[in-house]
Amino acid sequence: MRRSRSASCDAGGSGGWNASSLRDEALLRNAAALASDAPLSVYVHIPFCVRKCPYCAFTSLVPASGGIIDAYLEALEGELARWTETAGRMFCAETLYIGGGTPSLLAPRQWERLIGILEGGLRFLPGAEVSVEANPESLAATSLRLWRDWRISRVSLGVQSLDEEELAWLRRPHSAARARDALSACLAAGFRTSVDLMFGLPFQTLHRWHRTLQELHRSGVRHLSLYQLTLEKDSVWGVCPPSESLPDGYAFYRFAQWYLRRKGYGQYEIASFAAPGEWCRHNLAYWRGGNVLGLGAAAWGFLEGIRYGNGNDVARYVAEARREGAVSVEERLEGRKRAGEAAVLALRTAGGVRLRGFARRHGPEEAARLVRCLEPFGERFLRREFGRIAFSPGGMRVANALWTEVLADDEDEASPEEGFLSGRSCRR
Amino acid sequence: METGRIRNFCIIAHVDHGKSTLADRLLELTATVDTRFLKAQHLDTLELERERGITIKLVPVRMRYRDREGCEYILNLIDTPGHVDFSYEVSRSLAACEGALLVVDAAQGVEAQTVANAYLAVEQDLELLPVVNKIDLASAQPERALKELEDVIGIDTEGALLVSAKSGVGIAEVLDAVVRRVPAPEGAPEVPLQALIFDSVYDNYRGVICYVRVVNGSIRSGQQITFMANGISDQVEEVGFFTPSMRASEELGPGEVGYVIANVKTLHEARVGDTITDARRPAEKPLPGYKRVKPVVFCGFYPVEREEYPQLRDALEKLQLNDSAIDFTPETSAALGFGFRCGFLGLLHMDIAKERLQREFNVDLVATTPNVGYHVVLTSGEILEAHRPSDFPDLGKIEEIREPYIKLSMFLPTDYVGKVMQLCQDKRGVYGSMEYITPERVRLVYELPLAEFILDFHDKLKSVSRGYASLDYEHVGFRQGNLVKVDVLLNDEPVDAFSFICHQDAAYHRGQAVVRKLKELIPRQLFEVPIQAAVGKKVIVRQNIKPLRKDVLSKCYGGDITRKRKLLEKQKEGKKKMKQIGRVSIPQEAFLAFLKVSEDAEE
Repeated sequence: MRRSRSASCDAGGSGGWNASSLRDEALLRNAAALASDAPLSVYVHIPFCVRKCPYCAFTSLVPASGGIIDAYLEALEGELARWTETAGRMFCAETLYIGGGTPSLLAPRQWERLIGILEGGLRFLPGAEVSVEANPESLAATSLRLWRDWRISRVSLGVQSLDEEELAWLRRPHSAARARDALSACLAAGFRTSVDLMFGLPFQTLHRWHRTLQELHRSGVRHLSLYQLTLEKDSVWGVCPPSESLPDGYAFYRFAQWYLRRKGYGQYEIASFAAPGEWCRHNLAYWRGGNVLGLGAAAWGFLEGIRYGNGNDVARYVAEARREGAVSVEERLEGRKRAGEAAVLALRTAGGVRLRGFARRHGPEEAARLVRCLEPFGERFLRREFGRIAFSPGGMRVANALWTEVLADDEDEASPEEGFLSGRSCRR
Repeated sequence: METGRIRNFCIIAHVDHGKSTLADRLLELTATVDTRFLKAQHLDTLELERERGITIKLVPVRMRYRDREGCEYILNLIDTPGHVDFSYEVSRSLAACEGALLVVDAAQGVEAQTVANAYLAVEQDLELLPVVNKIDLASAQPERALKELEDVIGIDTEGALLVSAKSGVGIAEVLDAVVRRVPAPEGAPEVPLQALIFDSVYDNYRGVICYVRVVNGSIRSGQQITFMANGISDQVEEVGFFTPSMRASEELGPGEVGYVIANVKTLHEARVGDTITDARRPAEKPLPGYKRVKPVVFCGFYPVEREEYPQLRDALEKLQLNDSAIDFTPETSAALGFGFRCGFLGLLHMDIAKERLQREFNVDLVATTPNVGYHVVLTSGEILEAHRPSDFPDLGKIEEIREPYIKLSMFLPTDYVGKVMQLCQDKRGVYGSMEYITPERVRLVYELPLAEFILDFHDKLKSVSRGYASLDYEHVGFRQGNLVKVDVLLNDEPVDAFSFICHQDAAYHRGQAVVRKLKELIPRQLFEVPIQAAVGKKVIVRQNIKPLRKDVLSKCYGGDITRKRKLLEKQKEGKKKMKQIGRVSIPQEAFLAFLKVSEDAEE
């Protein structure tokens, strides 16, 4: 039966979540029903920005008018309603993350609408973590009040740098001063505030990098996410690079690991540093393989082992989300592949893989294989304690290389029977 | 046709001195080819020949010519390749003639190949008719060219012909001179058949076509013939001559030039230089001069796409049908997978084979850096032929290593003598002689290891002489050399594909270049990797590849998981494509680049 399902995806070509593949729908329906049983994480994608940054490859567009946003929110409500019908009950959010794009771009009345949709369509676990992404240039005082009065507990601010030159080079729409204002507004409003930073810019120096980190630390920010500038294929700079070469980033990352630790930020995940108790639970849910209900164009979700992705065409999403759903890609890994991916994700976190739990979920063989793959790398890259295997700070720096060791080889893959839908996705 | 009315001749010249253009004019004037159909370089049949302006394959052509008295003659023009790689083929086609037009460019004068070819012709007892071409050029100095012919080659230039093949001046006089001055062939019709194969080509439909010069007796269709070198007998299907297209005739008699098609399937059965005789009434002995040409330059050919190995094999087999001088045997390479070790007569021959495989047979291939064959004398007294470093036995078993040498003669303006001598010394050359041809031009003779020559000598010579030097060479056999095999070790394991043979004095220098290059090309690994170059057990160069410090961390949110995993899978795939030597992953580029490292090593 499983094979015929995957065959129907291929044959139909349209795949996913519509009438032509009832079996798919049935499976995802099952998964949704199961997942609605317990609190889960919800991700909402707001694919709008004031302008497109040259390095960004995420789905977002510059709205021609407020009308498209209104229509989008309408569709979002439809998509959520459809999921609720599918599951047979309302989902209960343990964490909610409103990301983008630039969610702060929404006008206050649009925020009211979005809050109405989420409040009406979801239940919230008491103490649920609710995060929103904001960019300094579009952070409005009214929105901040609305967020505070509603359930929002965390704001993740796209600061990127507090160095004017770096910001200008990145062609960010905000100045350092604007970033500082936004930051103090968030902190003053009492939000747990996280800041996104970028390193690995061609002319960046350790001194500039230190100044930015130091100022953020002094300002009272207790969560930092650090990303290295990369030239993504689907971004403007992926097509015409801004510089002949980018630094390997070692010095910046290494410095941050050293400096932030001294200032009390623990590296709880490969890109995230936080003061005690400030970990982002939503973030961790991804790496621990928790259920995630993804809503909105280009959003991804993960329900009971099935990962799905919504189509990234906003207009199409607006037109079809209510009636047909938005899922365009589905993937369910099995066996060795599933274990490999789970290990890679867990190894992003400082906690790493709990071998006992891993063996229970994926089989003792897989747990043994994981240890076998990693063991040769020794203490320089690994930490083994309390039945866990995790990357040391040095291991985090070369995580890509270590992960490739962990991933299963194709030829390792067990019989095709077992690997239903494995590595296969149905495109809309 | 009685032999008195036949003239067999060829044109010999240095490259670019206008041989093919002169041939075109002769065809035109004798109305052999309708001018409407005359393309430039008519006799060069391969597309490649026209493009490069060189001749690879010989196409003989029969022309009818009526002299001033009204007597009709048959003139057989045998075109010859103008490159040293094919000197044996040149010598065979010269052997099919009684005379040769020695063409010299009026502006450039005598060049290296002019001398080499002229001497070959003299050796074959050919009547030489000096022709000074390109007299229409503003820079033409015909007197100087003639003087050089006398001084350098030592031939009588009285009656030399001054022509311009381009504008057609003096062409009629050339034909007249051929009739009057080239001796008619001698040969008896009634004695047993002796026909010299001076070339053979493979045709998809007709099998092997032998180009022959009948010396004695005659050959006709239906006749049972024997190839004297290997004793194989076959029945003649067709004989004929070239106009230049093939035209069948009843028979070919003494002195005549034409083709023979027998039931021959491969060029190995009908080798250039062999003698055809009558199977029923064989000649006592073959015509002199047959030898099997042996490849002197070797390289590996590998398909770009590994699955295309069978196609490459087929293509090589087909190419070999056309060119029996190519040798190939299967081999495997760490970097390139399955391929073939091929032997060639020289660098141009190798280049041509490579291009023909790509053009005519549509095979994309990678060619490794060419090398020479060595003779390794073992302590046991046995002699081993080694084409690759991996063929070399342990240092302890080697008594001595011998390498092929060439005698190189170069013609150049005196201004460049210093630089060219320096170049020859750098290339381990041994001074032979220096003569002043004119006060401004010198002939320099050196003996040089072939290995140094094929590395990049030609390019270097051109650059130090600004293109004014010309060269020619001949093989002078094997000589003992102070050679060593340099092993390259990665993480203490020797990697065959990176080892090389070189002169002891160059081992450090080249070892360093190789190690440096590898350090550049092998990506950082999770641990430190030492790269060493060693002679025997002695490490002469060592460098370390520092371990990987950091790899990219880009933004990855929940949904990116699939994409991220795919990127990692791709990375893993990439790593799998790399060759694992011990724990070190070596990308293919490292192997490919290594195949060229020897060139960079010089800088």
